Amino acid sequence: MLKRLFVAMTLLLPGTAMAANNVSLSSDVFIERKVAKPNGTTAVVLEQPKTVIPGDNLVFVVKYKNVGSAPASDFSVTNPLPKAVAFNGTSDGTEIVSVDGGKTWGPLSVLTYPSANGEVRPALMTDVTHVKWKFSRSLSAGSEGKLVFRGTVK
Amino acid sequence: MALGAAALFMTSTSALAAGTVAGTDIINVAQATYDGPPGDPPVTIDSNTVTIKVDELLDVTVVSSDPGDVATSPGATAQVTTYQVTNTGNGSEAFTLSADTTKPGDEFDTTFEQIILDTNGNGIYDPGVDTIYTPGTNDPVLAPDESVTVFILSTIPAAASDGDRAEIELSAVANTGSGTPGDIFAGQGDGGGDAVVGSTGASDEDSGFFVIQSAEVTLVKSATILDPFGGTTAVPGSVISYQLVTTVAGSGSMTNLAISDDIPADTTYIAESITLEGAAQTDNAGDADAGSFDGSAIAVALGTVPGGQTRTITFQVIID
Repeated sequence: MLKRLFVAMTLLLPGTAMAANNVSLSSDVFIERKVAKPNGTTAVVLEQPKTVIPGDNLVFVVKYKNVGSAPASDFSVTNPLPKAVAFNGTSDGTEIVSVDGGKTWGPLSVLTYPSANGEVRPALMTDVTHVKWKFSRSLSAGSEGKLVFRGTVK
Repeated sequence: MALGAAALFMTSTSALAAGTVAGTDIINVAQATYDGPPGDPPVTIDSNTVTIKVDELLDVTVVSSDPGDVATSPGATAQVTTYQVTNTGNGSEAFTLSADTTKPGDEFDTTFEQIILDTNGNGIYDPGVDTIYTPGTNDPVLAPDESVTVFILSTIPAAASDGDRAEIELSAVANTGSGTPGDIFAGQGDGGGDAVVGSTGASDEDSGFFVIQSAEVTLVKSATILDPFGGTTAVPGSVISYQLVTTVAGSGSMTNLAISDDIPADTTYIAESITLEGAAQTDNAGDADAGSFDGSAIAVALGTVPGGQTRTITFQVIID
């Protein structure tokens, strides 16, 4: 019960937090669906799904905007991956990731993953638990952008 | 913190070959962090929450689990072919089973007896223990990735010939529905979402095969006579040597093959004269060798003799 209360309060945070500072953040998840066109070719369209099936390819879009009047420095965006989603890369490749629930971070190529038998192997996309973008410059007032990553329903 | 909150919302999932369990919610929340006003801690905000439900994927595989053709013989009943039915979808699903014992393209058809579910899960048909399957009554319900062993019992026609093969097919179809991959059964998925036909079409079948392995035995008896004078006349005191040649023909084997031969009237069996393939046999029935004499007939237990082989037995009598 205590945990539920805690969660409810956390969800209210975006509203209350925005009053005190100046960045807005939105998340959208799209599914790639192949649609046969009348001329015989197949087009890939993005839809916002209510439901998916294992193997579906998802596109996660995170939009941010500095809606305040002052720059936001040391800006970063983190997206924990839902457990049922396997990471499949970002569109810009500038992300850092975690394969251990957010304890350690780095480009996927430098991370390792302890396998069940105790051996340590290079981390794979499917090991990723969190994806994060750290901005080297501060986010000036009024500026906005979007971050895109892909995942597959496990 | 927000990160913990997002984690709390995730429904537990397990890594299955079939994929995320049907009904699981995929919940996504992003966070942004940046420096707050001087002196205050960094600010973390959450995005909106996006929730997507995982639908049930309807998939099934049927695989014959016999290592090869099942050897059988004409007229045999309750002959077993064995199959493995696996729910390769991501939801709990019931499957309707059916057998086809009259497939075209093989050499004979069997008479279908029953489909049996391997209730005790040992992979072997246990009469009276494993359950008889009745479509619509006890359709097996399988969890994602779960398998059940299924047996089809057949009667082999008496007219089947040595070497003939029969194809026996088992089909399994998801009860929620089947069809073309991508077909949707709205709201009928396990866990409350839709049910979607997967790559197998939610229907699969595989065949096992019987092969007739019959064997026939022929027995040829011959005799040679040696009289007390070195000739071949049948007079009192002449020794008759009998030879029994047993030949097994066909692709099968004869099991528990035993040969016996009465000692003719007016002759006396010469003790310890039985040979099998040239090897001397004792008359004692209780010992390890194959031969025996019970006072009126000789007997030789040949055991299992494969098709194409012969066994030669000899014994001797003396004319009274």
